[in-house]
Amino acid sequence: MDFMHDQSRRAFLKRSAALGVAGVATPFVTSLAGIGEAAAATASDYKALVCVFLYGGNDYANTLPPYDSDGYAAYMAARANIALTRESLAATVLNPTNSLGGREYALAPTMGSMKSLFDAGNAAVILNVGTLVQPTTKAQYLANSVRLPPKLFSHNDQQSYFQASSPEGASSGWGGRIGDLFQSGNGSATLTCINTSGNAIYLTGKTAVQYTVGTNGPIALLNNSSSLYGSQTANATLRALMTGGGGHLFAAEHARVSKRALDTYAQVSGALANAPASDFTLFPSGNGLADQLKIVARMIAVSSQLGAKRQVFFVSIGGFDMHDLLVAQHGPLMGKVADAMKAFYDTTAALGVADKVTSFTASDFGRTLQSNDDGSDHGWGSHHFVVGGAVNGQKTYGIAPAIGNNTNDDVGQGRLLPTLSVDQYAATLANWFGVSAGDMPTVLPNIGNYNRSAWNLGFV
Amino acid sequence: MTIEEEPPLVADKGARPVASDARLTPGVATLAPALLLAACGGGSGESTGPSAPSGSVKVVPAAITPTQASRFLAQSTMGATRTMIDTVISRGFSGWIDDQMAMPRATSHWDWLVANGFSDSSYMNGQAGFDQTMWRQLIVEPDQLRQRVGMALLDILVVGIGGVNLNWRQFAMAAYVDLLLDNAFGNFRTLLDGITTNAAMGSFLTFLGNRKANPRTGAQPDENYARELMQLFTLGLYQLNMDGSVKMSGGAPIETYGADDVSGLARVFTGLSLASGTSTTPDRYRQPLVMNASINETGSASFLGTSTSGGGTAAVKVALDTIFAHPNLPPFLSKQLIQRLVTSNPSPAYITRVATAFADNGSGVRGDLKAVIKAILLDSEARGDAALTSNTAGKLREPVMRLTGWARMFGVTSPSNAWGFGDTSSQSNRLGQAMGRSPSVFNFFRPGYEPPASPISAAGLVAPEFQITNEQSVIGYVNYMQNIIANGAGDAKPDYTSILTKANDSAALVDEVNLVLAAGQLSTATVGAIRTAVDSVSATSTNAAINRVGIAILLTMASTDFLTLR
Repeated sequence: MDFMHDQSRRAFLKRSAALGVAGVATPFVTSLAGIGEAAAATASDYKALVCVFLYGGNDYANTLPPYDSDGYAAYMAARANIALTRESLAATVLNPTNSLGGREYALAPTMGSMKSLFDAGNAAVILNVGTLVQPTTKAQYLANSVRLPPKLFSHNDQQSYFQASSPEGASSGWGGRIGDLFQSGNGSATLTCINTSGNAIYLTGKTAVQYTVGTNGPIALLNNSSSLYGSQTANATLRALMTGGGGHLFAAEHARVSKRALDTYAQVSGALANAPASDFTLFPSGNGLADQLKIVARMIAVSSQLGAKRQVFFVSIGGFDMHDLLVAQHGPLMGKVADAMKAFYDTTAALGVADKVTSFTASDFGRTLQSNDDGSDHGWGSHHFVVGGAVNGQKTYGIAPAIGNNTNDDVGQGRLLPTLSVDQYAATLANWFGVSAGDMPTVLPNIGNYNRSAWNLGFV
Repeated sequence: MTIEEEPPLVADKGARPVASDARLTPGVATLAPALLLAACGGGSGESTGPSAPSGSVKVVPAAITPTQASRFLAQSTMGATRTMIDTVISRGFSGWIDDQMAMPRATSHWDWLVANGFSDSSYMNGQAGFDQTMWRQLIVEPDQLRQRVGMALLDILVVGIGGVNLNWRQFAMAAYVDLLLDNAFGNFRTLLDGITTNAAMGSFLTFLGNRKANPRTGAQPDENYARELMQLFTLGLYQLNMDGSVKMSGGAPIETYGADDVSGLARVFTGLSLASGTSTTPDRYRQPLVMNASINETGSASFLGTSTSGGGTAAVKVALDTIFAHPNLPPFLSKQLIQRLVTSNPSPAYITRVATAFADNGSGVRGDLKAVIKAILLDSEARGDAALTSNTAGKLREPVMRLTGWARMFGVTSPSNAWGFGDTSSQSNRLGQAMGRSPSVFNFFRPGYEPPASPISAAGLVAPEFQITNEQSVIGYVNYMQNIIANGAGDAKPDYTSILTKANDSAALVDEVNLVLAAGQLSTATVGAIRTAVDSVSATSTNAAINRVGIAILLTMASTDFLTLR
């Protein structure tokens, strides 16, 4: 181990000199790069896709407020009492390399971290993405002449539709269905779909099962004690009873989860010992999303040791359902998202895997442009961010929607009618991940409703 | 031993003889539990006799066994005790329910907080005291049926203290939980009034101070409460039959309401405001919200096929009356209450029986929760023994109720009143659940949750509590209980005096834990494995007795036989 570490360190110093990033060669980065070199030695073809889910429905209008004078005026007119001041946006105005026909956007002032990712070409903005069954115009929406996602504007159903192309009660999600295609290529199929918070339909495949890991790694049963209340027999019996199912379906399922936890504990915790949390210091404290992305980074760092070639991760942060107190709460929350995603990107860069890792935001839905006095209500389309070394960044993708109430781009109160579907967003990510066009309809059942040329939005 | 088809005990409203008949044979309570378990193996079929094929049911007088009583208490309380098992046997199921329903609340959460000093201004901006009063009531209060039904209501009519943006949060939340407990045996229509005018709910679902539309700013009324009241608390998304099944039209489910109903109803829920501007005491949080006419929409509002205009509390009454009269309400709530108390997958017939009691208690009253609770707990699907051999009946025990089950069996007390279990919502080192701490209005788990890619979902079944079951929580729970069983939480300590008298006899020890804590539902193999583990600790070793007791308890609580309550 010492030998490898030294080698890695030399390799890193050599590489950082070549890249001209010696200035960031702090002791931390050195050790992190050592971990990365160890991983890269065998992971010639590794990729990770990381879904950052913003639970509650993110307010698109204060995430990406219009900055051009006409756009800003329309934004202000629609939500005077929850609008950000134009002056406060000056420092986070985006300068994409593509033209938006006079429209300018800024990021929420708290999202300076995302601004720097964007400016460096490592982040892209995807405009007006949302759940759809097929391409839908305002006229078609009004005439009810095309199929629409069931239960628009309902949290749980639209969370599920975003994650699974089906409302609550879905049996699998597209992250899990991607996992189905790749789990056999991984050393441990269990470590294909990894959730850091709880259970999400996104990560469940038809055969792939999600594995939940805590922000400090897997938990040791009884702190690895070999006995229970003084008895080794009791300890062994404990494991047997936890994993013994009996005949009841519920008992069997509970036993299956326990068995997965116990069976993978030694492997995962052993691997993670080689990527100690103390080396991952770029992540801000007091930021639960950063804590989750830190364990994702640690898992990625030891992916080769775990024999993983393709991994799909899910992290999440709640609190976006701001019917109330939007001005006070939205900025700080999006600041946490931006800071966490920036720290995650920087860490993957230090690990030498930035171009092998793509993270993207997702949410139940966007919200209304119009305020309800001190917040906004459930909407539909929203703007999202994609971050990673493989991202064709410093660009926006999609069409900048008109700003107002009952425009051609909204279905009332500034609820955006999506011009890009989650299916297209997902297909672009899946294509980068290695899903073939032939497999795409398996992953995204509605993708066939879109022109083949529109399956890849080109942002990664 | 087995009865293939069991009729509902309450199919005929006149047929509730269990209690009075059971009272005739109190002597069964004196049987030694070990013997009884050996004889019955988890309950006999003697509580119901042969029946007519349909219609009214003749119930043959029969004694309630301790395992049957314990199973009943696992469904109707926060945990069985030896004493309560004996009471159920002597009073009968129905009689015990009547006794419980007649029992006044001993202490309100609010009064307890005041009595314990939490109304001191130093607590104004925190939530200290809330977890204490919750754990205390759940564990020690005698009105256990009320506590259990109250927690079921809290699982459905969700408010989580973390989402209450008020000062004196512990009091605002206490007032809400008191509201549910006070009305647990009342009428659901009254409960609708109560939650709609409750400060904690008003803050949690952001309709406190909700303003009518403002043409100048473009602001619209907040739709949050209008939507979730219909979707989650009362009606659901799709029209339902009385058996809980979804009404279909042309192959598609028929929606209960649309976006226009939500925005129409949102206009009604404007203007509700705190009763007082005094923030230096918590008092206003237990006063009903009042209508502030200046921000209330007085124009017309249309929803669910009804229109009202003029606003004010009259419009709120029209809205709640309309929802209360909606045909979805009985099956929607009945199914969820069954899921909270008895089984995740009630049969359509069971749902129909309970929903029928919800719609009409037999005296023409709709929404009588007493009738609903009786219908749920006395139904053959709850009481019959068929579930004991089914591989799908029952439910995963809620984590909080695993803890309270232990705490009640072993008489946990907290002399300092600190009740140090605190916030148990961490899944990595606590229970992954805490009453009153739901992370969102969707609670810790949804009634329709299916563990994906599992034999449960493959069978078309739901298992709500599995939504908080994962590789973290299953280990975190066992670790937490291992510590709690050994040490308690602060000065909240168990009293093992009684169980220690059985410590040297592994058969008696495990049988007692099985009976009271696990409703007698540990399999023979599980009992055998636990006994072997207990006996691996020599009775003469240091701390032998307490270690043997601890092993029996933790292994029981970690076993999948216990975790699945049939």
